[in-house]
Amino acid sequence: MSQLEKSFYSKSSMYSFIVVVILFMSMWIGTGQFSHMDWMLFGYMVSSFIFFIGMTVRLTSWIMRPATHEVIKRSIQKMKSKNSQKRNGKAIFKTLIDNIILQKYIFKRGVYRGIQHWLIAWGCIGSLAITFGLTLGWMHFKLVDASTYQMVVFNIPTIQMAADGWLAQMFFEGLNITASMLLIGLAMAIIRRIRDKDLKVTQRAEFDLFPLYLLLAVTLTGLFLTVSYKLLGGWMHPQLALIHQITVVVFLVYFPFGKLVHLPMRPMAVSVPMNYQETPGVDTRDCSGCGELYSNDEQIEDVKAILGAQAFDLKNDEGDWLADYCPACRRKLRVMSQLNLPKGAGKAAPVQTNNGIHMPGFGRKRSEDFYQPAHSGKEEL
Amino acid sequence: MRKVMYLEFERCIGCRACQAACRECGGHDAKERNYVEYVDFFENRQTYPMLCMQCKDPACARVCPANAIQITEEGVVLSAMEEKCIGCRNCTFGCPFGIPKFDFEENKMYKCDMCYDRTQHEIAPMCASVCPSDAIRFIDHDEMMDLRRRRTQMNLIEGKKPSENNKWDYVPEFFGVYSD
Repeated sequence: MSQLEKSFYSKSSMYSFIVVVILFMSMWIGTGQFSHMDWMLFGYMVSSFIFFIGMTVRLTSWIMRPATHEVIKRSIQKMKSKNSQKRNGKAIFKTLIDNIILQKYIFKRGVYRGIQHWLIAWGCIGSLAITFGLTLGWMHFKLVDASTYQMVVFNIPTIQMAADGWLAQMFFEGLNITASMLLIGLAMAIIRRIRDKDLKVTQRAEFDLFPLYLLLAVTLTGLFLTVSYKLLGGWMHPQLALIHQITVVVFLVYFPFGKLVHLPMRPMAVSVPMNYQETPGVDTRDCSGCGELYSNDEQIEDVKAILGAQAFDLKNDEGDWLADYCPACRRKLRVMSQLNLPKGAGKAAPVQTNNGIHMPGFGRKRSEDFYQPAHSGKEEL
Repeated sequence: MRKVMYLEFERCIGCRACQAACRECGGHDAKERNYVEYVDFFENRQTYPMLCMQCKDPACARVCPANAIQITEEGVVLSAMEEKCIGCRNCTFGCPFGIPKFDFEENKMYKCDMCYDRTQHEIAPMCASVCPSDAIRFIDHDEMMDLRRRRTQMNLIEGKKPSENNKWDYVPEFFGVYSD
């Protein structure tokens, strides 16, 4: 691998090259040596390639971050180990159902937000799946006889369906369905962005609002295409198709570098139950200060490794690490050292002053010889 | 004009007004993000307030595998971005001061953001604006430097009495408290 890596300019260029080769081969297979290419979608195809290259570059640089790298390393180690097979399977299954398909934790942040996010997320995933499937030629439809369609996936003929049956309708209207989901979700999101004043504090136009309006543009122009050919007799269809294509191209090129990239990063949530929780929600490591359970050995090990990789020196004078203490003990350690009462300094005593006026603050108890007359020790010399 | 947070732990009277105020801050979702804790409950009732240090190079952001903790132009370290946070709690274990809190229900981390909606316009954060004993203050940088100097001078008074022929006993015992 390292030999291969040396022949490329960087890691991300190597992975991009591999991704492009795989995509090209999948197209070659999917379209039957490029005999079923849909040249109407050429622009989408080129931007899909840019999307995948951008995504590879983005994800490579993300995984190279010390923190991400450490967590992924631990996940791979867990995947390989035979002892935790059952736990891995359970973690992946539970995360897939709860966090990705149902998105339960967002519903807990608010039902409105949950519905909004679910509609946008699945609208996007559905639309992207259909877009890539068609533009890269992974699937196409073949007319078997006058009233029967057949779906061809990777050049393998699969299900047949009546051309006017409900299944065929579902497939043909697929993008309209996902676009309607997106439209509802986006409207809800925009209303939330306008109404919720708390959001305005940290929201950034280029990060939070741009993708929202971009998605809206894609959705509206896409839906208007349907309106144009169904209701308006194809009015302005070529121009509208071009406008839609432009919005989609901007969307695909933007996707890997903006807010929306949380979509491919999100599945890393599986590493939490898989790497760090033998039983979800139960801590097993005890604090070296108060003895209370606060974390898990593997997680603390990882945190120390990440901090070490970035030259954070969070070692105490006693030789233990701050990560060995629970958050409450860490807060206390900090306060005590600021008050000049490090560990082992004994009990806090009131600050004593020469003039007897009480000062705010804690002090150390003074040794008895402090109260001896000032020059008593010196006279013996 | 640069404003800074200035904490004097020993001034805390344990009224927890700062926590009540924190719950009221916009975007805090009625959950407090600061702490008021006992120094040693079995010894006395002295408490101390604790807020985020807003580190320049925050350990919490460095240990975040999702790159979710962002820093504003002003240097305020924000809570994890909700769309990125995967809920691993690395930040709570990485922070040397034990500041980030974790919401297990909503699966996200939240931490003191110095009431960013207020402080970005140089309005005191909620906790500082209600603290009755000035344990938490939001003051000019110059005023803070003054207070620090005064602390060091007071330390000189607190130091050991000077003895004849030994001026070095002037060296204060408490020099470390707020010195540079």
